[in-house]
Amino acid sequence: MARADSLAKLAFAYGVHLTRRRLTRPHSQLAKLLETYAPDGIRPLLPEERERHPQLIGCINCGLCALAAGRLGTVRLPDLASSYMRLYARLEESASDVEGESPDLEAAAAACPVGVPLDEVAAIVRRLAG
Amino acid sequence: MSAPSAHDVCVIGGGVTGAGIARDLALRGLSVLLLEKGDWGGGTTGSSSWMIHGGPRYLEFDWDTTRLSCVDAGHIVGIARNMVYRVVFIIPVLPHDKNNIERMETAMEVYDRFQPLKKAHPHVRLTAEEARQAEPGLSPDVIGAVTMEEWGVDPHRLVFANVQDAVAHGARALNHTRVVDLLRDGGKVIGVRYQGSDGSMSEARARVVVNAAGPWVPEISKMAGASVHLRPAKGIHIMYPHRISNFSISAESIDGRDLLMVSHAGFTLLGTTDDDFYGDLDSVDVLEDEVDYLLQAFERVFPSIRAYRPVRTTAGVRPTLFKWRRYEDELSRRYEVIDHSPDGADGFVTIAGGKLSMYRLMAEETSDVVCRKLGHQTSSITATRPLPGSESELEPAAELGRRFGISALAAMKLQTRQGSHAAAVLEDARSGRIVCRCEPITEAELVHVARHEQVRTLADAFRRVGMAAGPCAGAACVMRAAGIIGHELGWSASQRFDSAREFVRGAWLGRAPILGHSGWAQEELASGSLRGLRN
Repeated sequence: MARADSLAKLAFAYGVHLTRRRLTRPHSQLAKLLETYAPDGIRPLLPEERERHPQLIGCINCGLCALAAGRLGTVRLPDLASSYMRLYARLEESASDVEGESPDLEAAAAACPVGVPLDEVAAIVRRLAG
Repeated sequence: MSAPSAHDVCVIGGGVTGAGIARDLALRGLSVLLLEKGDWGGGTTGSSSWMIHGGPRYLEFDWDTTRLSCVDAGHIVGIARNMVYRVVFIIPVLPHDKNNIERMETAMEVYDRFQPLKKAHPHVRLTAEEARQAEPGLSPDVIGAVTMEEWGVDPHRLVFANVQDAVAHGARALNHTRVVDLLRDGGKVIGVRYQGSDGSMSEARARVVVNAAGPWVPEISKMAGASVHLRPAKGIHIMYPHRISNFSISAESIDGRDLLMVSHAGFTLLGTTDDDFYGDLDSVDVLEDEVDYLLQAFERVFPSIRAYRPVRTTAGVRPTLFKWRRYEDELSRRYEVIDHSPDGADGFVTIAGGKLSMYRLMAEETSDVVCRKLGHQTSSITATRPLPGSESELEPAAELGRRFGISALAAMKLQTRQGSHAAAVLEDARSGRIVCRCEPITEAELVHVARHEQVRTLADAFRRVGMAAGPCAGAACVMRAAGIIGHELGWSASQRFDSAREFVRGAWLGRAPILGHSGWAQEELASGSLRGLRN
C-alpha cells in the first residue's frame, strides 16, 4: 500500500513538474550552486587540474622529495603531496601553513619515484587554500 | 568468576544503535552496561557509506521512511554539529539511464520538501556544460544533472561520542567483550554472561537486556530462546585516500541500481553493493567481481576513475528486516523494536533493522520500550543535547595550531575528530610531534585515545583517529604508533611487534582486492618499509 501511494504521489509530482517546465524559462543555476557551497569549501577543480589529478595525488609518502628540497612554507614536502593535496573542504583554514617561499620544486619532483609534479601540487593547494 | 554486577539495563552491541541506546538510557538516569564484542562501530556501522542521509530512494517505496529519516538526520546534525559536514551530490543523467532528467528533477523537487528538516539546501538543475564546469571529470555523454545535499560523518567518531556521553552519565561500557550466554530465570532473561578481552568470564544482572547486535541479532535472540528473522545484505565500498572531487557523484550500475562516490573529509568512498548474504558474519570478504561491478558503473559517468589508486575496501552486512521475494535493493530500511515477553523471554528487547541516519530515533524508541518495562517515567533528551565535542563553537584551526606548535591542518583534522575538546587532547600529553603524516595525527592524540578512548589495538586507533588511513596506508607510521600506544598500555617489545603485524595483515586483506598497477608499486614499498610484518 505504501508503495502504491508513493508511486501515485510521484506521478502527480511528475505532472506538476512537466507543466512547470513548459510554463517557465530555464535559467542557469551553476552560479547559485557554487555560491551556496563556497562557505563549505566545496569548489570545483579546473579542467586542466582534473586532467592531471590522478598524477597529482600519486604520492606514496616515501620522503625522498624532502631530502631534495625541504619545505614549502611550514609544510614538509611529502605532507604537501600526501596530506594537503587531499582537497579538504576546510583547506582554507590551513592557508597559513603554505604561505612563504617555495623551494626548488622541480628538483624535488625529479627525486620522486612515482613522478608527482610537486610544482603543480603546490599551485593547486595554494589556489584552494587561498 | 567475580561476583555479578547489577544494572538496570544491559545493551548488547556497540554499533551506533547500541551506543545510542546506552546514551539515551544513561541520560534518563538508568544504570547501563554496554557490551561490544569487537571495537565500537567496528561492524555494520563502520562499513556504511558514512552518511546521515534522508533516504531519497525510499520516496519510491515509502515516503514515511524518508520523512522520519530526514527528521532524525536533522536532530543528529544539531547534536553532532562539529562532526558533520555537507556532502553535495551531482547526479548526472546519461542517455538510456532508467530515469531521464525530468524524472530525476521531479524526485529532487519532492525531496526538497524534506530537506529543511535536516538543514540542507534544495537542489539545482545543471545543463551538461554546467555539470562539467562543476566537475570537469564527468563524461562528455552526460546530458544534464541535478544536485542533492546530504551530510557526512565519521561513524566511528559518532559511535564513540555516544559511548563517551553514556559513560559520562554513569554507564559502564566495555569493548572487546563478547556475550557468550544470557542468564535466565525460568522464562525471564535476567542478565548476561560475558568474556572480557583478557579471556576472563563475568556475569552481569540486568532488569532488561537489549539486543542491539545488528546482523548478529538472530544469534543473540537464540540465547534467549527467541527468534528474530533478518535478511542480511552485504555491501562493500572502495576507499580512495583522497577526495577525488569536491562534489560527490552518483552513477547507475549495469543492473539499474544507484551507486554513490562520496567525498568525505580527505577521502572518497565508492559504493555500494547490496546482495543477500548467507556466510559467516565475522568474515565478510570483498570479491574482485564486486569491485569491478562498482568501477564499471562509475567509469560510465567519470571515465578516469580507474586512474585513481584505491587504498582499501570495506565490507559489512546490513541487518535488514526479513521479507520474502522482494529484490534486495527494494527492501525497506525500516526498523522494529521487539519486546520478547510474549515469546516467553520477558526482560529481553530487540531492535532490528534500520540505518545509521535514524540511529538516534531507533535508540529513543527502544529506550522508551525499556523505560515502560521498568516503570521509569522520563523522556529522551538526545534530540537536542549535544554530543561531546559539539557543545561549543570551534576555535579557528590556525589559532589552535599556533598555541600548540602544530600545523593548522593538523589542528583542523584534530577538530574534525575531537570537536571543541581538541585543545584538551593536546594538553593531555603536550606532544605535537606528528606520528601519522598523511592524516596528520599527533603523538598527543594517540596518547589521549589510548588513555581515555578505550583503544586496545592498532585497529582501534585506526577507527578512533584514522591512523594509517591515508595514502601511505601505514607504511610510515604503524611501528611508531605501536610504540606510543604500547607504552601507554604497557605492551612488551614483542607485543608491540605482534600488534603492528596483526594490523598490517588486516589492512592487507582489505587492500588485496583493489590493487592495480600503481597499487602494487606502493605495496612493494610498504612491504620493504614494514620489514616483513605482512608475512
